[in-house]
Amino acid sequence: MTALVEGLKSIKKPFLITILIVLILGSGLPFVTSSYMLRVLNIAMIAYLCVLSVYVLLGMCGQNSFAQAGLWGVGAYLTANMTLKLGVSSVPAMIVAIAGTALLAFILGFAFFRLRQYYFTFATIGLMTILNGLFMNWTPVTGGALGISDIPPFQLFGFTADNETAKFFIIFLVCLIVNVIIKVLFHSPLGRSFMAIRDNELAADCLGVNSLLTKSIAFAISGALCGAAGALYAFLSGYLSYQTFTYQQSTMYLIMIMLGGTISPAGAIIGTLIISLLQEWVRPLQNYMQFIYGIGIMILMIIQPEGILGGGKALYEKYIKPRKRSPKAE
Amino acid sequence: MKNISNPENAVLRLNDVCKNFGGVVAADEICLEMYPGEVFGLIGPNGAGKTTLLNLITGIYMPDRGTVVLGNKNISKQPTYKRARAGIARTFQHPRLLGRCDIKTNIYMGVDLANKRKKKSGQVDNELAVLMKTAGLETVNLKDTVDKLSYGQQKLLEIIRAILCEPSVMLLDEPAAGLNNRETEYVGALIQAAVGKNIAVLLIEHAMDFVMSICDRITVLNFGHQIMTGTPKEVQENEAVIKAYLGGGNHAGR
Repeated sequence: MTALVEGLKSIKKPFLITILIVLILGSGLPFVTSSYMLRVLNIAMIAYLCVLSVYVLLGMCGQNSFAQAGLWGVGAYLTANMTLKLGVSSVPAMIVAIAGTALLAFILGFAFFRLRQYYFTFATIGLMTILNGLFMNWTPVTGGALGISDIPPFQLFGFTADNETAKFFIIFLVCLIVNVIIKVLFHSPLGRSFMAIRDNELAADCLGVNSLLTKSIAFAISGALCGAAGALYAFLSGYLSYQTFTYQQSTMYLIMIMLGGTISPAGAIIGTLIISLLQEWVRPLQNYMQFIYGIGIMILMIIQPEGILGGGKALYEKYIKPRKRSPKAE
Repeated sequence: MKNISNPENAVLRLNDVCKNFGGVVAADEICLEMYPGEVFGLIGPNGAGKTTLLNLITGIYMPDRGTVVLGNKNISKQPTYKRARAGIARTFQHPRLLGRCDIKTNIYMGVDLANKRKKKSGQVDNELAVLMKTAGLETVNLKDTVDKLSYGQQKLLEIIRAILCEPSVMLLDEPAAGLNNRETEYVGALIQAAVGKNIAVLLIEHAMDFVMSICDRITVLNFGHQIMTGTPKEVQENEAVIKAYLGGGNHAGR
């Protein structure tokens, strides 16, 4: 509890102002874009939540997972089953999806994190394959190859988010809330212990960090984010297919965050926006898309392994900051 | 000096601690006890098992035999993080700071540990300012990443972090190695600050003048064996120590 207070204290004016500006600009978006473009944005924001889940796990805690799309699917199928088969209303269904996915991730994390570094990553590849197999074959729950259709849209107090604009505002709101949570996490003792594990696990041990438990919590938080994204996707699309929650999609989240940079959530925004919009703008080149990604990633890793944000920061520190600090230097 | 006569007051006690690596004896029935506010030196030639002993105390290695007792709790079987929470802080021969984090985050890892132990959320800005001044780091920008600091400054920062853990025992692994004279003085000042907080300091160091001037008692190790424990004066006059250390020279000073 005290940790939460400390994290909340870290929210300063500049961050609040940024959130406010984003809120105002974002609220205007539905009125200036076509409904097709709005759909693209909605999908991008859901991807953004999943990319943030990679940010928490990889960017903060230094653990790489290829199972994020699988966890996203768990959240989505949980929501679909809750609303369609059990008739639960939207908000509780979403809470169950978030908590359920987080719990699953925590338990699996507790088992997987007995393995270190890339052995954990290999384990998540296995998890992704199993989850996708379940989505495809567990017909009573996931609808099998046919998927689940007619999932009701988000409803609250008699209000139904059945058009694209209403859906936009709900997803947008969740994204903003999640950003505030991540900010609090970053400045809390828990967030610091994530980063200690990322930078030096032995030092973290000697500073009293229980690395197995802490890494499992990081995986659980990333699971919760994926669960939220899954619930929103179920409400947005109304139809779930096993072909959505694939290994390729997990890889795409990693590409997005590598492109943007893992040093802050801003990297997740940049990466998600660029890749999502790129996919729309170069639709005529669809067949060459995989090729472009492949070459692009290779070039990026050679030129700027820290991503766009890392590159920008390096440039800033090289050219702009020295001038600011010592104006009389020359 | 501080309550050394009464073994009841010992904060850390090693009883017959043994560790072998294959056929190599790294620690052979090491017995020592440390008291609050004491600076305890651990010296010996390279490969004598000094760092191994530190790793046995922090739980990075588990002892083959013998017990490590902190206060009156046997911690021999506990993992590293539990020992840290029980009150053992350490630094490393090569500083292990969080390379991608800023200086403040690094420092607050220590504060978090102290808060965890006391189950509260305390701020330490005043204390931190005093310690930074003691270490000559008062001009450092806390928002810079640690790679902006020199090697010596990083080692000093690591000691500050350990002090802020509010441990009962602080283990320093060659804190002055690779440091210039002024930085070594800062290390001495930080050790005095720790002593002022009643922390027992275990110091591994090769710079003899430094060790002899700051330590209350010293243990000499050679090939995992404990040659002797005594005051700096006793150590300097001991024949066996001189032989082990200098290969038969006349004096133990440098």
